[in-house]
Amino acid sequence: MAETIVHTVRGELHGSHAHHPELSFFRKYIWSEDHKTIALQYLFTTMFFLLVGGLLAMGVRFQLAFPGAPVPLIGTLLPSWLVTSAGAIQPGGYNGLVTMHATAMVFLVIMPFLIGVFGNYLIPLQIGAPDMAFPFFNALSYWLFFLSGIVLLSSFFVPAGFPASGWTSYAPLSAHAQYNGTQAGQSLWCVGLFINGLASIAGATNYITTVINMRAPGMKMFRLPLPVWALFITAILLLLAVPVLSAAAAMLFCDLNFGTSFFSASNYGQPLLWQHLFWFFGHPEVYIMILPAMGIASEILAVNSRKPIFGYKAMVYALVSIGVLGFIVWGHHMFVSGMNILLSATFSFSTMVIAVPSAIKTFNWMGTVWGGSIRYTTPMCFALAFVSMFVIGGLSGIFMAATPVDLFIHHTYFIVAHIHYVLFGGSLFAVFGAIYFWFPKMFGRMMNETWGKIHFALAFIFFNCTFFPMHNLGLNGMMRRIADPPLYDHLRSSQPINIFVSVSAFCLGLSTIPFLINFFYSIFKGPKAPKNPWESTTLEWTVPSPPGHGNFETTPTVYHGPYEYSVPGMDKDYLPQNEPAPEKARIAVH
Amino acid sequence: MQASVTTIDELPAHPGGPNIIRFGMFTFLASEAMLFAGLICGYMVLRGGAGAGWQMPEALKNAETMIKTIIATLCLISSSFTLHFAEGRLIRHTKGGIGLLLLTILLGAIFLTNQALEWSNLHNEGFWFNTAGIMGSSFFVLTGFHGLHVFIGVLLLVTSLLKALGGKFTPQRHGFLECTGLYWHFVDIVWVFLFTILYIL
Amino acid sequence: MTQFLSRKSGSIALLVIVFVACGVPAYAAQRTSGLWWMPDVASKGGEQIDQLTYFIYYLTGAVFVLTQVVYIYFLIKYRAKRGVRATYSHGDNRLELVWTAIPTAIFIGLWGYSNHMWWDVIHKEPPPGTMEVAVNAYQFGFSFQYPGASGKLGRSDVKLLSPENVFGNDRTDPLTKEDFQSGVLELPVNRGVRILLTSRDVIHGFYIPQFRIYQDAVPGRTIDWVWFVPTKVGSYDLACSQLCGSGHYNMKAQIQVVSEEEFDNWYKQKLAAAGNASAANAPAQSK
Ligand code: HEA
Ligand code: HEA
Ligand code: CUA
Ligand SMILES: [Cu+2]
Repeated sequence: MAETIVHTVRGELHGSHAHHPELSFFRKYIWSEDHKTIALQYLFTTMFFLLVGGLLAMGVRFQLAFPGAPVPLIGTLLPSWLVTSAGAIQPGGYNGLVTMHATAMVFLVIMPFLIGVFGNYLIPLQIGAPDMAFPFFNALSYWLFFLSGIVLLSSFFVPAGFPASGWTSYAPLSAHAQYNGTQAGQSLWCVGLFINGLASIAGATNYITTVINMRAPGMKMFRLPLPVWALFITAILLLLAVPVLSAAAAMLFCDLNFGTSFFSASNYGQPLLWQHLFWFFGHPEVYIMILPAMGIASEILAVNSRKPIFGYKAMVYALVSIGVLGFIVWGHHMFVSGMNILLSATFSFSTMVIAVPSAIKTFNWMGTVWGGSIRYTTPMCFALAFVSMFVIGGLSGIFMAATPVDLFIHHTYFIVAHIHYVLFGGSLFAVFGAIYFWFPKMFGRMMNETWGKIHFALAFIFFNCTFFPMHNLGLNGMMRRIADPPLYDHLRSSQPINIFVSVSAFCLGLSTIPFLINFFYSIFKGPKAPKNPWESTTLEWTVPSPPGHGNFETTPTVYHGPYEYSVPGMDKDYLPQNEPAPEKARIAVH
Repeated sequence: MQASVTTIDELPAHPGGPNIIRFGMFTFLASEAMLFAGLICGYMVLRGGAGAGWQMPEALKNAETMIKTIIATLCLISSSFTLHFAEGRLIRHTKGGIGLLLLTILLGAIFLTNQALEWSNLHNEGFWFNTAGIMGSSFFVLTGFHGLHVFIGVLLLVTSLLKALGGKFTPQRHGFLECTGLYWHFVDIVWVFLFTILYIL
Repeated sequence: MTQFLSRKSGSIALLVIVFVACGVPAYAAQRTSGLWWMPDVASKGGEQIDQLTYFIYYLTGAVFVLTQVVYIYFLIKYRAKRGVRATYSHGDNRLELVWTAIPTAIFIGLWGYSNHMWWDVIHKEPPPGTMEVAVNAYQFGFSFQYPGASGKLGRSDVKLLSPENVFGNDRTDPLTKEDFQSGVLELPVNRGVRILLTSRDVIHGFYIPQFRIYQDAVPGRTIDWVWFVPTKVGSYDLACSQLCGSGHYNMKAQIQVVSEEEFDNWYKQKLAAAGNASAANAPAQSK
């Protein structure tokens, strides 16, 4: 009887195509409701947006190194809101570049990479489910995301171009065309983020429902692989934080277009309300961008160290507490905004406390490699680098959490360094690692290891050369979001550093090329991948690469936790989750 | 292929109830609640901060508007009940289900019509998005957002009606109807909040 | 499994090279010039803040070195070797407890220290003899208003702020008549200054790196808790450090910290000029 009920549930959810194995081209590649196809759609789209966001960053770096110099090659082709007639970037256009660089990287790259690609791909496969709970909404989520990308980037073509108030869009600058001069672009920003929010919420609903309701028999919550745990907590954060941004964006849109006065001081509005709403979303948002990366890194570290993750439960509790505490620290972005200074003290406290779970995770990662048998595969290199880079980024966060120090470094390049250490050295490195790691499963072929290592080495070196000196620039008092630093006395002497940083940034950009070549070449020409190339224990490796529609021929049964590596008394050094432990194995009960 | 093979170990708590769908809907409504929480908190902060600068515009205070709104509110609240009773009947195919569903749609439509008339009325009396300080801003954005939700709700109800007429609901399969119901109740509750803070307090 | 072993030495060498390649130049460059570090501090509060910055710098530096040394040691020691199996361990609760408790204690202690200083630098009443200056920020510049001979600024209110009256001065207050405006922030050394910060349009920043001070100017409000004591004669840039539009990149004003006498001279001159101006204005107004 149980079977029938579930059958009906799935029947209704899956609609017609459950019974039609042959799908039309449209249903197979465009409006696909298979979570794996959707993940790949996300993957290709997001890689494209990464190039866009990266190119915008190149524009930023070019201007900072050579203020006023015409942009080579394409300078004169660019629209007049962006460049002068000679082709040099204008200050207003520069603000637009920074704004769209960050908006694209945050909303169109890191979030969809971690959540859209790996959330979609891994959740059903790692919990032993045939698909997401709501495949229709999953497909809808992708297309809404795609639409939001188009809307955001289309602001390039409207009069006055990109929104130019920073990715944080502080009102009243963002709320009045007379102040920002980019009415159309800023409005598109609001609309784009609203649509992006709908996509996130559709995704989050799906993930939460799937993880809670569709686990394979025996897959208890404390047997979930860590990426699933991380994505699950992330989904809860998305569900509760994103709608607040949507509300704020809607209010901002009305201020811009209907003459409402939510955020303007005249007419009883409050400029700081925007900041509170934005950061109430914004801080959970930064953890949304790191938690899945932490989950992914944990997985890769355990597999390649051939060891159980150190302190699995502690890892889970740390994730949960980061999720909870993430909602009460937003004020650390507003220490000097004019908010009550007593509140600053409280937010400083909660910020210090939220660093504790991150510390726990760091030590557990170190505990995982301790005593391991480490295989230096490309994904492992990225995961190892992730830990170190996250530590640097996290430690710089401690400077800012101390209110008096923030008085000095707020809105300087010290913050920019922090952002990129956690988001590039952290999240994006984990994403690269994850792509190398799950590529065999996704495409049924292996990526080239040598080129992978080259990509890693170049990315690692140039990443540090680009972003480490930004700490120094920040300490030197270099403000964020200024198009022409040498205009200031105290910054003139540090211009050589800016040039060094920019050159490194260009090299960092170029370092992506080996990756792209490796990626696309391997899709077609890579050596065929076996089912389980990394000798890993989680369920996705028990099915063919790539898995068929419906994922599992028969429902797997799960017998133990996800990280049973090097179990004493066994011949092979890994014990898949769906294999009962052999008689002689001395598996620790967990 | 294998899509109908299931992997759900914990089965729906009640046999016959599409529990996953309900779970998903509740999850989604949590998100909707945060959307309104954002808007409402914004309104309360602004109103608190405006102090004496905040006042209820005449157009909203007058008795006629009040009475009409109260009637519309009662319509919306009773529509939750009619829908509740419609649901059971539609699922079990007993008598009166369609009628009650139609009544629900009608009540929803009355609410929306009243809101549209009220907006145009207020507009004529010079109360609009950009007047009366944050009161104008908040009133129209909050009721607008809510109105949009009611509108979507009515569309869902109409779809449910079509499905019901097509005999699509069975005791085993009625997820769509159930979600529509949850959504409608949610929209209803939000209105009670909005009515209190916008018209009464 | 052997497939992973064959590349081990190459990978490790690569990792080591990578770390060295990044670390050494970064460190070497740090040493060769002063411009890699904070600009010389020029205010009293700034000196305190620097103490804290250094404290956190050494703390986090130590944490960084410790964790990374241990980490890299593990990475080299526990590389895959033929015939050697990984240790089978799911963790250790005691260890877990230790490395939760220690950071927690450190963080809470650090909060105590930093909050104490926050109190000292911002909350505490400024020293006696502190001068008040009103600062008004606009797209894209700053203007300053000094008190007249009485040493007190006249009443002002942001509600009165308008294009003609950018400081929102209450014109009925006799004290206001003496106030005068300046385009440069001229300050006497070693005397406290409290600023009354307003903005005419959007949010701007009031940032002086050498003083280690930052505060946003929010339209519709007067922010009155920021004060500092300049300790070094010199000329500094006051920078707007909050994105405020297309001219943000160049929104700045000059700060001139001078000796007490020089300041008095400047002040008297300004006052006299302002007095003449208002005397010339007065009959015109009464007409
Ligand atoms: C992935 C994203 C991410 C992550 C994980 C973090 C993590 C942290 N962030 Fe960061 N932050 C951002 C993204 C992120 N941040 C962004 C994008 C901004 C700028 C937004 C903008 O203005 O545009 C920002 C800005 C920002 C500010 C505002 C600065 C300002 O504008 O003036 C502050 C202030 O407190 C802060 C603090 C912290 C802290 C304390 C952590 C902690 O969680 C870090 C904890 C980790 C560690 C501490 C390292 C590991 C621990 C150990 C090795 C243990 C031992 C350590 C000690 C005993 C010291 N961040
Ligand atoms: C979310 C992740 C993320 C990522 C991955 C990046 C990646 C990069 N960022 Fe980003 N950045 C942010 C998030 C991110 N950034 C945020 C949130 C802000 C704050 C914005 C604000 O103030 O509002 C910011 C701000 C910011 C600034 C500060 C601007 C200012 O305040 O004035 C700078 C300046 O150097 C910068 C540079 C870079 C560079 C060089 C990269 C590089 O890593 C990019 C590397 C490029 C690629 C990987 C693309 C692929 C390669 C090609 C397309 C081909 C190569 C082409 C050539 C060499 C010409 N960023
Ligand atoms: Cu004013 Cu930036
Ligand atoms: Cu934060």
